[in-house]
Amino acid sequence: MSEAVDFRYIGTRPVRPDGLDKVTGRANFGADFTLPGMLHGRFLRSPHAHARILNIDLEAALAVPGVKAIVTGKDFPEVEPGDIQGGEGAGDYHDLAVNVMARDKVLYHGHAVAAVAATSVRAAEQAIRAIKVEYEVLPAVLDIDSAMAANAPLLHEQLYTEGLPEKPARPSNVAQVMESTRGDIEAGFAEADVIIERTYITPTVHQGYIEPHACVARWGQDEQSLIWCATQGSFDVRSMTARVLGLNVSRLKVIPSEIGGGFGGKTTIYLEPVAIMLSRRSGRPVKLVMTREEVFRASGPASASKIKLKIGARKDGSLTAMYAWLGYEAGAFKGSPMVPGVMCVFAPYDVPAFKAEGYDVLVNKPKVAAYRAPGAPQALFATESAMDELARELGMDPIELRLKNAVRDGSQAAYGPKFNSIGLEACLEAARAHPNYQRPLEPGQGRGVAVGFWFNVGMQSSAEIHVNEDGTATVIEGNPDIGGSRASMALMAAEELCIPYENVRVVVADTESAGFTNVTGGSRVTFATGMAVIEAARDIISQLKQRAAALWNVDEDMVDWVDGKVVPKPGINVEAEPMSLADMAAESAKTGGPLLGRASLNARGAGPAFSVNLCDVAVDPETGKVDVLSFTAIQDAGKAIHPSYVEGQMQGGAVQGIGWALNEEYVYNGDGVMENAGFLDYRIPVASDLPMIDTQILEVPNPGHPYGVRGVGETPIVAPLAAVANAVSAATGLRMTELPLSPPRIVAALEAAKG
Amino acid sequence: MGSRDDCIRFLLDGEVVEVSGLPATTTVLDWLRDHAGRTGTKEGCAEGDCGACTVLLGEYQGGNAPLRYRTFNSCIRFLPTIDGCELVTVESLVDDGVLHPAQRALVAEHGSQCGFCTPGFVMSLAGLYLEQPAPDREQVVRAIAGNLCRCTGYRPIIDAGLAMGGLEPAKTWHPERVDTPARRAALAKLVRRRTLELPDLVAPRSLDELASWRQAEPDAQLLAGGTDLGLEVTKALRNLPKLIYTGQVPELHVLETAAAGLRIGAAVPLADAWAAIVDAFPGFEEVADRFASPPVCHSGTLGGNVANGSPIGDCMPVLLALDARVELRRGASVRELSLADFYLDYRRTAMAADEFLVAITIPGAQGCWHYAGYKLGKRWDQDISAVCAGFAIQVDAKVIVAARLGFGGMAGIPARAPAAEAALIGATVEGASFEVAADALASDFEPIDDLRASASYRLISAGNLLRRFGLALTSEEQRKPLSVWEVTP
Ligand code: FES
Ligand code: FES
Repeated sequence: MSEAVDFRYIGTRPVRPDGLDKVTGRANFGADFTLPGMLHGRFLRSPHAHARILNIDLEAALAVPGVKAIVTGKDFPEVEPGDIQGGEGAGDYHDLAVNVMARDKVLYHGHAVAAVAATSVRAAEQAIRAIKVEYEVLPAVLDIDSAMAANAPLLHEQLYTEGLPEKPARPSNVAQVMESTRGDIEAGFAEADVIIERTYITPTVHQGYIEPHACVARWGQDEQSLIWCATQGSFDVRSMTARVLGLNVSRLKVIPSEIGGGFGGKTTIYLEPVAIMLSRRSGRPVKLVMTREEVFRASGPASASKIKLKIGARKDGSLTAMYAWLGYEAGAFKGSPMVPGVMCVFAPYDVPAFKAEGYDVLVNKPKVAAYRAPGAPQALFATESAMDELARELGMDPIELRLKNAVRDGSQAAYGPKFNSIGLEACLEAARAHPNYQRPLEPGQGRGVAVGFWFNVGMQSSAEIHVNEDGTATVIEGNPDIGGSRASMALMAAEELCIPYENVRVVVADTESAGFTNVTGGSRVTFATGMAVIEAARDIISQLKQRAAALWNVDEDMVDWVDGKVVPKPGINVEAEPMSLADMAAESAKTGGPLLGRASLNARGAGPAFSVNLCDVAVDPETGKVDVLSFTAIQDAGKAIHPSYVEGQMQGGAVQGIGWALNEEYVYNGDGVMENAGFLDYRIPVASDLPMIDTQILEVPNPGHPYGVRGVGETPIVAPLAAVANAVSAATGLRMTELPLSPPRIVAALEAAKG
Repeated sequence: MGSRDDCIRFLLDGEVVEVSGLPATTTVLDWLRDHAGRTGTKEGCAEGDCGACTVLLGEYQGGNAPLRYRTFNSCIRFLPTIDGCELVTVESLVDDGVLHPAQRALVAEHGSQCGFCTPGFVMSLAGLYLEQPAPDREQVVRAIAGNLCRCTGYRPIIDAGLAMGGLEPAKTWHPERVDTPARRAALAKLVRRRTLELPDLVAPRSLDELASWRQAEPDAQLLAGGTDLGLEVTKALRNLPKLIYTGQVPELHVLETAAAGLRIGAAVPLADAWAAIVDAFPGFEEVADRFASPPVCHSGTLGGNVANGSPIGDCMPVLLALDARVELRRGASVRELSLADFYLDYRRTAMAADEFLVAITIPGAQGCWHYAGYKLGKRWDQDISAVCAGFAIQVDAKVIVAARLGFGGMAGIPARAPAAEAALIGATVEGASFEVAADALASDFEPIDDLRASASYRLISAGNLLRRFGLALTSEEQRKPLSVWEVTP
């Protein structure tokens, strides 16, 4: 259980250590770095969604003044298949290599075909236009149904569906199937008084981080190479780049810049191996920066999905059975978030019988990447829409219905383990009691409720704490700070060492200066890296006790750490002044040298996080415009280390979810070309679209963490899709099952209902 | 053509910067980041859509007129267009080591998560601060309409904007302290005596000079605010022909308001043009607000918008409803044309290659007119509309005696709706008349399907807008005030 109860610093809201850098422009992001003699690179990208590359003619391009190197797929080594370790999204190293630079085929519009490094961006652009490529255009598949059709064109001729009892006879566009089942669903549905059955559709959407992908790379003749880039995981960039280029990991140094948003989209690589290869060819450092259009066309958006869901319940609201068929688009290579989707689709509910079957489906679109709680928003959009409809059918309050079926401590999660210390019930109760749930609605307005969930993860982290001679401390860790984690780390170190928050400096170090650490993602940093910081601080404290024992000539177990000081245990009779960290630091030369604490761990015991969202909307029936009137996010965060950044995660995730529900989508033409590859036509919410997002943090401690931290970042995006859709359904009287709920779609639905 | 000069000069952090030898299409952002090493200003899109590149431009307006500071998107603005001005970036704001109140407030309110959008928000808030050091919520939201943040959901940023006013005031960047004699003198020194002429751009300083350049170089491209043209360089990577920049021509900046109507010079920024229109025709009260983000309205010009003739440009339906005319000049001769006759086809106008737009005139209204403007897009601010409409009807004794209905997004060009207008004229002001008019739209337009909306959505919603206009005129309980420029999504 959580040990500390009365915290000094945890739970306060100090200014973040890098706050000033961010407001003055001093913070350096991916594209802000320059090396002497640096070249600028640009990509040639496929104009087709699916085609065979017959020939690439570089002659004219190489003649463009200023061009120093051009690379194509031929310049990269063959990479053996193998599961990518530690990344947030599933994937394979061979696929990663082919995604970074196409070899014999292009698999989506925007797939990289060649890259140029030149003395200026303009020269590089000119060379790109001078490259001649011959393609044999192949038919493309652009959605789940056509990809799964009997005679569908194949993206990969050697791909056979995994997860079946036997290897199938023929290749397919379905990379993997998965089934999760318990109990007898036929019997369950037979027992039901009410059955809801519908198909839910969500479009491809993008994480929409404002900073485009960017890196600078320098190849060394001795193979010691440097990469400066914006990433969620510098160690992942190192291992992936090394694998794609066939290099020894120790040869690569990755320096993470500040990162301008990622949300899962910067957990993989697109530019880095190409930049290294161009640098190697040209003998000069190379900078690669994506344009906004390239970010849309050629980074990793989130899966489009098609989910068929059926739920049965008795008149009293108790669920009897649930069934789900979940198709997730993976893009051009296997690895959609189908697996977490299958695992979480029934996670909030205790249902005697269920079956979920999932399909990881390849289509001629960019390979998807993680996006906040990958797979869960789509799955719970379906579940929570159906629960809403069920409540309506039964004439039950939607919160009441959920409380009746909610998982509690001791429930067997649909995805396996027994829940222990979870906050779903508490969130539902808080929602029911919230003033925003009581506010009367006017005609044309509607209210929606939905539950969100994410597993949260631990994984590997390292941290070091150096105690300086004046008793201040420097924390060294390897997770790029994407939303205030330096502040959280400093709070935890300050708490343990009993020194002021301001006396802790947190450094996000490069791969040669910090111990190995997995990505900033999966809501794991405050939990797992935080745990490493706490352990490193405790390592220091135990050294302090040893040193004090030696100074005082007593046994180590006769020394205590109380209120930031080493003291003799009560009843121990020695002449000893209590000594603080600063006192001990001043004595370090006499007591064994510099004080340095460290920890490296594979964190277990991540606590799942539930949320409940309330959303009120007004729908204009004549134009289909939806106004979000109020939005309330309630979430069990476990212990909130820095409540402002917890609220920040909840608000930011809610707004991304609102965008997903109302406006955002990749609009493709019939040839597989995205038509809205820019922020003008891919609409993310602006300030005037939104109400102030209300938040309520609940703190059900996670027993797997010394302070009870759970992990916060993913869950907030899960519930808004259904919360908004349920509100729109309530306002219009029409069940909306396909996102986004754009004005044209709403007007069309209203017109159709008129008959 | 008089004496020339090929050096761009502007003020930055109190010093005159001189730039020569760069392509005229070098954007202010590229100059800052790649040439001046000032990477505090960020690039998120290079298309004027995200606001990460927002900076302030200070303009000396001559005589006793106050210095004017306004935000703009540095990613789509070419460097020669800031000649003679003061450039203010996020690095400029720290004063004797003290942060600007916008910066302090953003730190204190935890307004950054990743922080990439932050410099842009700082500049938008600093620009607002120069107008209103203690803004209200609406002003804050308005000021940041052109800034995207994907991390925070905006709440702490809005809180920071609201908190600025309560903090220790800015030393330099304060409305009462920025306009110093020293700064005025420094800017006055930059006023040109010789025309800026680069190999690929010329910036004439009088209407006559512009007219002769236009005739001498009919293939040259006119550059006004550059909010459209900038995109062609950054996004379509088009190599532009020689540019003739209109921003230095004083005659094109003239904005005349009189009872007889408005005359808006072609280089008048959208922000000022809309302010004048709203002043004269209160029916379009919120038009200026909803038209585009503040930085775009500060750079973009009404003339550029009209001359570009984009079918989805939001100005044109309103100008059509106001019966606007365009004044065109070629050499020494001037002609006038009704705006309705100006557009010929998709992105094609009646303007000859060696002709240019001098001004837009809007006649004053006589009698009892009602106006309304509507914009249907996906979100409130800064959106390309699927449908945009400007309506004007004249009523006499409950009978509609004149009607002008302008639409954007319904055809290849901005256009009036003659059939619907005919249906209204002579009818009484009642719901049924607008029903008939709405149905008549189907014979006026055959809209297209595209990514923004389907043809049927356009037709249905355009009709609904007309019904709504009728309802607002007739109903006792008006659901929405008529003067509101509705942006509906
Ligand atoms: S970089 Fe996005 S508006 Fe300029
Ligand atoms: S803080 Fe990340 S985009 Fe605004």
